[in-house]
Amino acid sequence: MPAAPLPLSGIRVLERADGVAAAYAGRMLAALGAETIMVEPAKGSALRREAPFLPGGASATFAYLAAGKRSVTHDPADTDRWDAYAGLLRSAAILIDDTPLGQRPGDDRAPRAINPGLVHVSVLPYGAAGPKAHWKGEEVNLVHACGEGGLLPNGLTLELFPNRPPLKIYGNFVSYHAGVAGAAGALAALLGGGGQLVDVSIQDVGVALAAMTVQRLGDGVLEHRVTRSFRYGGVFRCADGHIEVITAENHQWTSLVALLEHPEWARDPGFADELERGRRGAEINRHVATWAADKSAADVVARGQKIGVPIAKYRQPRDVLGGEHERSRGLFADVAIPGEGELPILVAPLELDGGALPAPSPPPRLGADQLLMSGAIAASQEGVA
Amino acid sequence: MSKPLAGVRIADFTVHAAGPFCTHMLAQLGAECIKIESQHRPDIFRKPHAVYGRTDAAEFDHVTSGKLSVRLNLKHPKGLALAKSLVALSDVVAENFRAGVMTRLGLGWDELSRVKPDLVMVSVSSSGQSSPDSSFAGYAPLFGAWGALGTLTGYPDGPPVEMRHMMDHAAGLNGALAALAGLRGRAHHGRGSYFDVAARDVASASIGEFLLEAAAGVEPTRWGNAHPGMAPHGVYPARGEDKWLTLAVRTDAEWARLCQVIGRPELADDARFATAEVRLAHREAADALVAEWSAAVEADEAARLLQEASIAAHPSWNAQEIIDDPHMRQRGLIEIVELKSGIRPAVCTPIRFSGAETGVAHHTPELGEHEDYVFGELLKLSRRQRDELEGEQAIY
Repeated sequence: MPAAPLPLSGIRVLERADGVAAAYAGRMLAALGAETIMVEPAKGSALRREAPFLPGGASATFAYLAAGKRSVTHDPADTDRWDAYAGLLRSAAILIDDTPLGQRPGDDRAPRAINPGLVHVSVLPYGAAGPKAHWKGEEVNLVHACGEGGLLPNGLTLELFPNRPPLKIYGNFVSYHAGVAGAAGALAALLGGGGQLVDVSIQDVGVALAAMTVQRLGDGVLEHRVTRSFRYGGVFRCADGHIEVITAENHQWTSLVALLEHPEWARDPGFADELERGRRGAEINRHVATWAADKSAADVVARGQKIGVPIAKYRQPRDVLGGEHERSRGLFADVAIPGEGELPILVAPLELDGGALPAPSPPPRLGADQLLMSGAIAASQEGVA
Repeated sequence: MSKPLAGVRIADFTVHAAGPFCTHMLAQLGAECIKIESQHRPDIFRKPHAVYGRTDAAEFDHVTSGKLSVRLNLKHPKGLALAKSLVALSDVVAENFRAGVMTRLGLGWDELSRVKPDLVMVSVSSSGQSSPDSSFAGYAPLFGAWGALGTLTGYPDGPPVEMRHMMDHAAGLNGALAALAGLRGRAHHGRGSYFDVAARDVASASIGEFLLEAAAGVEPTRWGNAHPGMAPHGVYPARGEDKWLTLAVRTDAEWARLCQVIGRPELADDARFATAEVRLAHREAADALVAEWSAAVEADEAARLLQEASIAAHPSWNAQEIIDDPHMRQRGLIEIVELKSGIRPAVCTPIRFSGAETGVAHHTPELGEHEDYVFGELLKLSRRQRDELEGEQAIY
């Protein structure tokens, strides 16, 4: 457990989020010590109704994203309680907001009109400016709008199913990292003096993460999933699961040959040259696939890593939940989820000062912290007008 | 307007992709980022990469443009001393060597926090510094395999799928967030901090809801392009060779509008598709109806028609289509920069500020290009001292 205070303690964040990206921005800020308050409509954030669902009916998506936060209710059209909301807004340093542009309050009710020192972080599928700023976008659209979807699958999957549609990454990968970018943007704006709009487009974040494909275009290569597969290495089937093997450096290739127990085919002098290995990658992969087929995945991974081969088992979610790595880093913490009981929730993918970040508080019931709207509130320590 | 991190200096020991992406983001936000390499061990991305079938160094520009470069032999006592002097003048140290390497070099957190007590340090590695697997070698596909993201990605009847550079860069982006949090903490609480980002945990964090589902006893399975709560949802053929349309229908009202767009208004009253629940049960039939329509329409036109009906849709794009898109051009995410190798596109930070600039400041530096500034101006070494250090291969 890191020594108090956490780096973002003293920062109050308001969050109006119906989507994963904005909610994850608030989640990461909360994990790092900010007080994150969800401002939900009377019927609750849409995330409370987002699949997948836990056996008791709660949204797993909401439970994960809302852990560590507080909840108040306020509809933007609710004029009766506007003053209370404005007071809360004045007390905040950051507003994370994925409200569609056409539904955002303007003029004297615009967030920065109420609190000029506020960092207003807009997180929208295609950003707050540009011809597509009003377009709707879900993860499947965005992972393909950023170029990565069209480059998947690769390797073994592509060999097996060459004619199927291109594939999205599981879950909400691009949206989560748009949330990370939103949180980073909020902090950069605070460090830069506060009082501005931060515009995060989920598509832009995807393009930035997939920048390699733009780089390759500059090199004169238009990447395609058929041509982007690793020349050698990749996914291989073992007797009890799949493994991943990549040897990017010469010494790793040498170690792989040792793991394979120096087979006759690997003694071909041509394989000493890394470019030649690239040209004969399919041949290498046939040999590795044959070798791996009757092996235990855990066994070859243990032996391979011991001698410096970059090799891993494709672990199941249950392996992650019960993994020694995860236990040693305190990656999961038991949290009481209303209607579901205590379940392990992933805290954050980083440690601070040699220890895990604190376990988050349970995801709040809708409006559980409504007293915060009463005016009896402590202000954020910075960014207050 | 200045950049938000103007005045922040980073001593950047990162190599490959994940760590350099972290500092690349911070550099574009205005930090002065000094990349420390050596002639003996230059960043691997300065070299060809056979496993990708590349005969030139392709990645380097996209994680290094905008940085300054110096050479330091960290295994030479005087090279190490210079590195510490540079850290003493810096706000942030970033590194992504295998766990333990920085400590063995004499540049671990305990040592550097003595050199600079309010330092913010970020380590990005495959399994973190404290894991029993911390010595494991790893690249992006391995992070996805360990973290189960790669395991769950794929067609329902197929094998796992490799994560590629996005996974590296995602780990780096988390490192950038950590550095910013550390800088804020330092500004407010007056103390430094050390962040340890494990890339495999970044992969797991991006499936946190499904890990929670698994913890509750429901084993997540591969969905391909489908979604547990939306149908139709997926990637559909469009007119032309290898052209695809992505589509997601979240509500009953969107389904009714989709029926209008595809010229089948009667389907809005079809009991098989009346609610999200029954559409999920009949997802294959719904997918077939969409595919029958989309296969005859250009992907761009189909997306335009669907968005006009307020339905989430977009073509599946390649890099050229992204660069050519008027929306992307207007947002300025991709700048056209002039490098020694020619004019080429460069991706900037995806964060836009109303009151601050961001973006690519200059090209990828040559190895040691900025030593006059760093060694001469910042560390105040004379030309003669530098020559002697070069002769001893401390600057090398």
